[in-house]
Parts: sequence; structure tokens; C-alpha cells
Amino acid sequence: MKIIRKLALGFAVAAATHITYAADTGFDMQTVDPEADRIALQNYYKSRFPDTELADYVNGIYSVDADSREQWVELEEFPPYEFDVEKGEELFNIAFANGKGYADCFENGGIGIRHKYPYWNKEEGTVKTLEQEINECRVKNGEEALKWSKGPIAQISAYMAWTSRDKVFDIQIPEDDPRAKAAYLEGKKFFYSKRGQLNLSCANCHLQGSNIRIRADLPGPQLGHVTHFPVFRSKWGELGTLHRRYSGCHRDSRSDPLKPQAEEFRNLEYFQSYMSNGLVANGPGARK
Amino acid sequence: MNKGLIIAAVLALAPTFAAAESFQNAFEMNRAMYGKGHVFTWQGKQYTTQHEEEAEAAVKATKANAEALLDKAKAKNAEVAELGYEWKLTRGLLKEAQTAIDEGDYQKALNLAAQAKYHARMGIQQYHYAQANWHLAVPQ
Repeated sequence: MKIIRKLALGFAVAAATHITYAADTGFDMQTVDPEADRIALQNYYKSRFPDTELADYVNGIYSVDADSREQWVELEEFPPYEFDVEKGEELFNIAFANGKGYADCFENGGIGIRHKYPYWNKEEGTVKTLEQEINECRVKNGEEALKWSKGPIAQISAYMAWTSRDKVFDIQIPEDDPRAKAAYLEGKKFFYSKRGQLNLSCANCHLQGSNIRIRADLPGPQLGHVTHFPVFRSKWGELGTLHRRYSGCHRDSRSDPLKPQAEEFRNLEYFQSYMSNGLVANGPGARK
Repeated sequence: MNKGLIIAAVLALAPTFAAAESFQNAFEMNRAMYGKGHVFTWQGKQYTTQHEEEAEAAVKATKANAEALLDKAKAKNAEVAELGYEWKLTRGLLKEAQTAIDEGDYQKALNLAAQAKYHARMGIQQYHYAQANWHLAVPQ
């Protein structure tokens, strides 16, 4: 009897490890827990970079690499995106041919709303991004859609981000529509899935690889990754959107890259933005 | 440590650790160590470290053979593209293979088509691996 009891206890201990594992991870619609993901990510970085304040992750790689930060602080004295913000404001305020403008399409006239994107649109059953709605506004008012990755759309987005600085991200995943959670889960899965000839996931560089040199580059942390977009990248020599960066990363892993605003990228943005809940919007940013 | 507890835990966790070496692992290890054309033994039988595409390209360099392999490579790439795991260089290889056929260089076409098909096959494997294992990288 004693042996049976011991055996039962042993099996229970071993089984419990599996049960706990299933409860913590959240890899399917039954178990996925965005808030647990967000806290786990924060804890990962607290443990990895104990000297970095959580709020500082909005500064990307500059939150964890002192040398890069020093250069960036100097760069920010005359931010390279400054003219783009001015241009973005100008473009934002030019009326469409029908007399309407961007302000007519957005809540609060489009001012101070960047931190609310992306969001789940129940009517359309999809994740909507800021750039997507900028173009939808144009088309609805009889204008041509802008190209997605750079130029005017990035400048308008930069201006809108500028008016939203210091507002706290609070991305919602509505519980009354399971499709929203499914989109989040797809985004999460995309982030952690290895792709391309180089067999790399987003996480390989921006989670495990945070602040670890890849040739001459130091990948930024996943936490706070989206808060500073659009960004002026020195490598580009101009401003670009988050989805331009996604396409670039995808290509760098030697995948056939998805197009900006593809559903997969919008779901990825949804997941990444949720991970930044509690952090402030600080776009546009300047990066290497 | 209590003996009963240890035995039970080992029994429960055994499947995690006791998986026999798969053919895939044996093949990949031998291929990585010795390159192509090496003969190795797995479960008492002998195999060579040749990818299936290398075997497919080792045929007579004729237009018909080159076109047949190119068609197979295109089909395989369409399959991986459908899964969203197409690799960046594959379509370029397919185009180059077609060009080689047009120029009458059938051996080059066979080699390029074989490479493209290999890319596509690996992309499909990668997709299935990701489906089964992506969660292992998530911080807890």
C-alpha cells in the first residue's frame, strides 16, 4: 500500500509539471492569455537587463546599450525626423478635393490617437492599423491611396504619433469577439516561428538576440518595439513605417517577404503592441 | 530521495528522453559531418547522404529531364508559398533554371531546379517544425 501511495505521488508530481506547463504557456485559443504573456515578457527583460527601467524600453536598443545610447542622445538634439513631422503636419492639413480632410476620418480630429492603434474592428473582423486607416480615409474621400512603406504616409503617421507622445498604450482584445484573440494568437505565433533560409524567427533577434551583435547591428528588445514608429533609420536615410521594417526583417531572414499591411503583419503588430501596453507612445523615433 | 518517487517520475518522464534516433537525425548528422555521397548505417541498413533532389538531378542532361524537374520544383514551391513559408531566392532559381533550358544548358538547369526544389521542401519542413515547436521560445 505504501509503495502504491508513493508511486501515485510520484506520478502526480510528474504530471503536475505538464499541467503547470499547459496552464502557463497559452498556445491555443483555450489557453492563450495576453496579459500573462505581457507580464512574462516584462519579467524576462527585468531578469535579462536588471538595470533598465521598464518605461525606458520605449527607446529600443538605447535602453540596454549604453554606448549606442550616448550617440543617440546626441542625435536627438537635432532629430533627423523633425522635417518629416513638419511635412506630415502640412500634408495632414491639406484638404482633399471634396473639401474634407484626415481630421474628418479620425476620432478627436486625428490628434493624440496613435497609442490606440492597432485595434480590433468587430464589424470588419480584422485588425486595423493607423496607416491602413490613413489610406482608407483618402480612398473614402476620392483620393488615391498612398504607398505603404515610406514618404507621405510615413510623414502623416509621424505627425499623428508626434501629437500622441507620452500617451499610454492600452491595446484592447475584446472578450466578446473570439476572432480578436485569434488574431492576437496568430501574431504571437508569427513572432515566435522560424522562417526563411536563415531559419530565424522575430524572437531570435528581438528576444533572445536583444543587444547581441549580429555583424554590426544590435537588435532592439521586443518590449517597447512598436512605440517609436514610424522611425527615421540611418540605414534608410529616411522615414519608414513599422510594416516597412517588418518586410525588411522578413527579407533579411531570406523569406519571401509579405507586403506591408498584409493580415499577418497586422496581427503581428496587434500582438507586439499589446506587449507594449503600459508604455508610452514616443514616435517618431531615430534608429541606426 | 525516496526510491518509489524516483521510479515513478522516471517512468512518467521517460518518453521525453528515450526517443530513438530518427532516420532524419542520422541522415542530417552524417550529411553535416561527411557531406554528400557518404555511406552510413541506420538500424542495420546502409544509406547514402544524398538529398532526394541530388538524386533527381543525377539523370541524363536532356531537355525533357530538365523540364520535368523544373515542373516538380515549381509545384513544390507553390506548395510552400501556400503555407506562407516560401524562401526569398527560390523564384530566382526557378527563373534561372528556365533560362538555362532556353539556352540549352540542361545540366545547369537540372542543378538549379534541384536547388529550388530543395529550398521549397525545406520550407515545408520548416513550416511543420514551426507549427509543432514555436511555443518553445515563448518566455514563461
